[in-house]
Amino acid sequence: MKFNNFLAVAAIGASALFVSSCSRQVNRVSTEQTIDISGSWNNSDSRLVADDLSGKILGANWINNFQEAHQGKKPTVIVGFVQNKSHEHIEAETFLKDVESAFVQTSKVRLVQGGKKREELRAEKEDQQSNASVSTMKKFGLENGADYILQGSINSIVDAHKRQKVVYYQVNLELTDIQSNEVVWIGEKKIAKYVKN
Amino acid sequence: MKRNLFIIAALVAGCFYSFNVSAQQSSLVQDQNPRYKESERKYARIADTLNSEHGTTIQNTYKAFDWYEAKQERRQQNREWRHEERLNGGYYDYTPSWSLYGGYSYPFNSYRGYGGYGFGNHWGGGRSRFGVGVGFGW
Repeated sequence: MKFNNFLAVAAIGASALFVSSCSRQVNRVSTEQTIDISGSWNNSDSRLVADDLSGKILGANWINNFQEAHQGKKPTVIVGFVQNKSHEHIEAETFLKDVESAFVQTSKVRLVQGGKKREELRAEKEDQQSNASVSTMKKFGLENGADYILQGSINSIVDAHKRQKVVYYQVNLELTDIQSNEVVWIGEKKIAKYVKN
Repeated sequence: MKRNLFIIAALVAGCFYSFNVSAQQSSLVQDQNPRYKESERKYARIADTLNSEHGTTIQNTYKAFDWYEAKQERRQQNREWRHEERLNGGYYDYTPSWSLYGGYSYPFNSYRGYGGYGFGNHWGGGRSRFGVGVGFGW
């Protein structure tokens, strides 16, 4: 009898263990927390780049230089494309949006929409020409022309042997005067990781 | 009379040309390249395509060699090959077709056939069902 009881308890325990080992656990974590799993590019890298480059671009001299030359007017920036030439798929939008957000929040720089979103805006404007009331209809030809374009590139170097690997990422952002093609600011963020499998 | 008409036409054409040139020069700002229209025409054609990329990431990635990852990939590939072989009912799946060797072609297995994997083991014919013509099928 005792043996049977023991067997029953053991079976229940084993099944509980089996069920718990199969169940997936998901916990919300802080986006500020660094969790490295594979060693690949992750949210912490994106955050590091965003924090560093936002601070650098807003603290650089190009804003003051522009304002001095244009009677205190704020510079207008459009975001161009970023070329990812690294060995991993990296979406630059994750850190570019943070930089754009810093532009808008600090009000030091005016930001204009580009790419597909600008196309959408123009299409909406076109729609308004025939559907909106005359007093609310927006006109073509009154967009803000950008003074500068922000472009970038992501590069990487991988040095790997057996189970060890060093990965180096370099993210560059450049701000160029659209009229003169003069580069007025270059920012870079370098990240190196040592990965051991 | 004809001569006078010719002179008048030449004068009109000259006036028209000089008017055009002066109009173009007057639209130039200081130090602007007078041939800027050439560039403008060129980029008017491609501006929409290029500008649609604004704010995006152009993925131009490369594959870095990683010893450990390459090993894992090789293992995974081997697993897939073995799985394929099991699905095919054995290592040698003879497909009756024309060949130089008695009606049996070289074992049809596209994974084994390319990529330099496993030829050494197969050419011996150790695990083949028939043992004839193995390895010399083409």
